[in-house]
Amino acid sequence: MSDSCSPDAGATASDTSLCHGLPADAKLFLTLLVVVVSGLIPLEHWPAQGLLLVAVFMALSLAGVTVRYLARRLALFLPALFVFGLSIPVASAEGLAWNWALSLWLRCTVSFLAGLWLIHVLPLRELLSVLRRWHCPVVLIAMIGFMYRYVFILWDELRRLRSARDARDFGGASTWREWTISAQLIGLLLLRAMERAERTHRAMLARGWDGSIRSLDDDR
Amino acid sequence: MHIRDGILGPEVCVAAAVVSACAVAYSLRRLRVDLEDRAVPLTGMMAAIVFAAQMVNFPLLGLPVSGHLLGGVLAAVMLGPWAGCLAISLVLIVQAVLFSDGGLLSLGANVFNMGVVGAWGGHAVYAALRRCLGTSVTATVSSAAVAAWLSVLAAAALFCFEFGLSSHASGFDPSGVFTLMVVYHALIGIGEALITGAVLAFVLSRRADLIPAPTPLPAVRAVGQFGTAGLVAALAVAALLAPFKSELPDGLDAVSQQLGFASLETERPPLLLDDYAIPLPVEGWWSVSLAGMLGTAVVFVGAVLLARAVRWNTTPLTLADNTDV
Repeated sequence: MSDSCSPDAGATASDTSLCHGLPADAKLFLTLLVVVVSGLIPLEHWPAQGLLLVAVFMALSLAGVTVRYLARRLALFLPALFVFGLSIPVASAEGLAWNWALSLWLRCTVSFLAGLWLIHVLPLRELLSVLRRWHCPVVLIAMIGFMYRYVFILWDELRRLRSARDARDFGGASTWREWTISAQLIGLLLLRAMERAERTHRAMLARGWDGSIRSLDDDR
Repeated sequence: MHIRDGILGPEVCVAAAVVSACAVAYSLRRLRVDLEDRAVPLTGMMAAIVFAAQMVNFPLLGLPVSGHLLGGVLAAVMLGPWAGCLAISLVLIVQAVLFSDGGLLSLGANVFNMGVVGAWGGHAVYAALRRCLGTSVTATVSSAAVAAWLSVLAAAALFCFEFGLSSHASGFDPSGVFTLMVVYHALIGIGEALITGAVLAFVLSRRADLIPAPTPLPAVRAVGQFGTAGLVAALAVAALLAPFKSELPDGLDAVSQQLGFASLETERPPLLLDDYAIPLPVEGWWSVSLAGMLGTAVVFVGAVLLARAVRWNTTPLTLADNTDV
């Protein structure tokens, strides 16, 4: 999965670190706590926000996140955030605008890093079992699992369609042409995926699917 | 489009999360009635399609950035509003929790803006338009394109409302940000409408049976559908007009006098988010609705023309079905 169209798929269960050893519920709860606290800290208490940032950084390094990975994610995240924050002082000449923009940058960065920590330490299987324990509807959890399973298959499909396209258009299409071709790409992906869903459904029926979800995690 | 954590206040996020949870629960219930045992594979697959389709980049003319499909209306048109809402919610959940795209706490607000309003509202607009226009390809494609444009603008308007509520608490007036947001999203919406229309035209040319025709509805639900559609249209167009109204009062006054809306002006048409009271005050409601209808009519004419253009371009197919390598 080194292709540019597929982002890295988060945590793997094999990682071992202090943070990975925490119970899954605690991981999700801690992250949400950091996000809420950082949202509640008022403008004038920005040192507290800075402390929170340091704490999240420490948690990230304890979880074994490499600087390179962090830099790559931040390089995608910070420019967009910077532009959005900058639109506040640009749009209104109030004296408070810069303070507001700065606190927004800090808050968003803290929350983003907390989110990165979570995706690094919480694999999908653990997340789904947490959601079950937190009484999330079982059908919804099954849908998430199903979707996660098929996203990677569709990415591969998309990559094949794309390389077929690139092999044929010699890279010289006009913008309008590129738009219609890309729309056809999505349309083709959609048709194939829907047919695959129908096939999968029939295969599930053949294996005794009746619409109810059973899981080995029930006793955990 | 994804709202990050830290942009909205925690209390706004929690309120939005409660509303979204109810909407998702209702969608789940309706879905299990509509699709029965096909609900899980079809909705899961649709979510995966939307997720994968968002990876296809559409180059913007002369700019180094590129846009992508959002997919709310596309999913709702293919599988109905309930599955559409769920598919978008699933995409948002997975993006937030596993790819850190969009916030955890603001997930509720994201689901509300894009899943609930995008798919439910977008489908209501689509179904209402299609009911009036019939089942031809042009009608289907242009209805979906209008719905896509309106749903993007409505989502932007809702974001402005939520952001206004959050920043109001800290005594900051962000009305200038709204102008940028709404203009920006009006442009994004055009892209979304184009892509949704083109993809649907392609699907219709290959497997028209995948897109269900509108079924006759009981009167109460038909009225509800038209009401929802009107609400989304009014929200979108009010958002579009509000910044122009606040920045260029003279220009808009002149236009409204020319068009004979002077009598409506005396009621002082409400600005969306004017002073963070109720966004659509009752006394100005009619002027907003009228503006909504007018704006929708303009968009609609544009969409019909586009639908024809798109259809011409997809007829000589360049991508064969068997492009598997």
